[in-house]
Amino acid sequence: MADPDGWQPDACAVVGIGTTEYSKASGVSPTALAARAAIAAAQDAGIDVRDIDGIVRSDYDEASAAAVADTLGIDDLAYWSQVGAGGAAPAAMVGQAVAAVRSGLARTVLVFRALNGRSGRRLGKGVPAAAAVGGSSSYLELFAPYGMTSPGQFFAMVARRHMTEYGLTPETLAEIALVCRRRANANPAAQMHERELDRDSYFDSRMIADPLRVFDFCLETDGAAAVLVTSAERARDLRQPPALIRSVAQATAPRLGPGQMYPVLMSDSLTELSSTRVAKRLYARAGLVPADVDVAQLYDCFTITTYLQLADYGFCAPEDAVDFVASGALDLGGALPINTAGGQLSEAYIHGMNHVVEAVRQIRGTSTSQVAGARVSLVTSAPPPGGSALLLVAS
Amino acid sequence: MSAAEPGWGLTPVADDPETAGLFAAAAAGRLVAQRCRSCGAWQQPPRPRCRTCLGDDLGWADLPGEGSVHTWTVVEHQISPSFPAPYTVVLVDVVPEPGAAPLRFLGHLDGRPALRVGDPVRVVFREHGGVHLPDWVPADAD
Repeated sequence: MADPDGWQPDACAVVGIGTTEYSKASGVSPTALAARAAIAAAQDAGIDVRDIDGIVRSDYDEASAAAVADTLGIDDLAYWSQVGAGGAAPAAMVGQAVAAVRSGLARTVLVFRALNGRSGRRLGKGVPAAAAVGGSSSYLELFAPYGMTSPGQFFAMVARRHMTEYGLTPETLAEIALVCRRRANANPAAQMHERELDRDSYFDSRMIADPLRVFDFCLETDGAAAVLVTSAERARDLRQPPALIRSVAQATAPRLGPGQMYPVLMSDSLTELSSTRVAKRLYARAGLVPADVDVAQLYDCFTITTYLQLADYGFCAPEDAVDFVASGALDLGGALPINTAGGQLSEAYIHGMNHVVEAVRQIRGTSTSQVAGARVSLVTSAPPPGGSALLLVAS
Repeated sequence: MSAAEPGWGLTPVADDPETAGLFAAAAAGRLVAQRCRSCGAWQQPPRPRCRTCLGDDLGWADLPGEGSVHTWTVVEHQISPSFPAPYTVVLVDVVPEPGAAPLRFLGHLDGRPALRVGDPVRVVFREHGGVHLPDWVPADAD
């Protein structure tokens, strides 16, 4: 087994998964949503929720570790940490849980993301209007004054550059949107479960930030998703077949840049992002190659985000990505079925934590779009500015 | 062009320690980027230290006022009252000296101008809320 830097494959497992309803208006706080998902995950695992002794949260979350522990009646939380930024976090958050378990800092770690992404803070609204924007090392002062105020506009620029460098076409982005929608149509929990989408509707839809249309954008969701991580040894005695954590990796982009996302526009290349490095580290730790991956949950805040990871994670050469998508590879039955619950584009926008939940379902054989015999399940979390990824395997 | 353009824009915070020099230079009609006085490396965005030699003796050096379009987006869906749609945000490559890697700047264009990657643009300076900042227009614009 590859072990280049002391990583121990299969030492920990995801033993419980839980989600809330995905809605436009939850009517409750993110802390309440986090608690619901945590209780569901504990019930799924067959663990008393009060036995959770560690919590990993996202830096974007409004629910604090302390508030969630308090709500769950956890009297003595032994470990808490957070990872960011935003969509780059979920796989890395699982990595933090592994680190805690392996080092003895905690035994049972809750990893969650909870948000009122539609009724509360809408991330797509971007930079809030203020007397003056930026400062405090945010670097927004170099971007927002020109009208670069929202993540979709950032990714639109990346997409436009891919069109020039690699011949990306709107057809490619449409195919990604349609594949995710078909998976959502099969998933009763998906927000877009009953909303079919065809190619004509995609191309008739509103342009938001050219070349990205409304269906290239993720949903806005109120909801939460959570997983429980413990040692593989303990996992054997729990209720569910464990999803073993074969490897986790984080990486930054070359010349990462300060601030959060927008300064990536000033890095050397808009088409060489962190995911190339994440993938290299992830596969080396796992002792696996891209062809071993049976099913992938590729982060999809926008269709372009998913597209640019195809080459970065080694599924095709950059110049072949358009043809790879056109071949039907991403569909069920294709070479690389993706986003099998519908993804952020069509299931729900839980900042990628629902991708972790779905990857576990694929290992258990319980997805609503199950890949037959899936044994290696990939989750990715954002490329820019840094990113992370997770490989789960069946025991 | 230096007059304020009413109707759109946001005023940048112009006194952040890392970026203040860009705005101060723009007020004097200069386009600058951060440059290390020790090793000569350029860096954009500006940072607290030189990423190349780790020195902290950083200054601002003049750039040519010409660049080229790296990429762009036409914003059709308005999300900020400060920016009526449609408008175009352009990302501009500026080569600080022959052989050096390009440095990037943002620019704002009204409407949906016909653009291609590589199109030449030139710097202009505008003022918003008392802050001067560099912006870009097609090289052949009036």
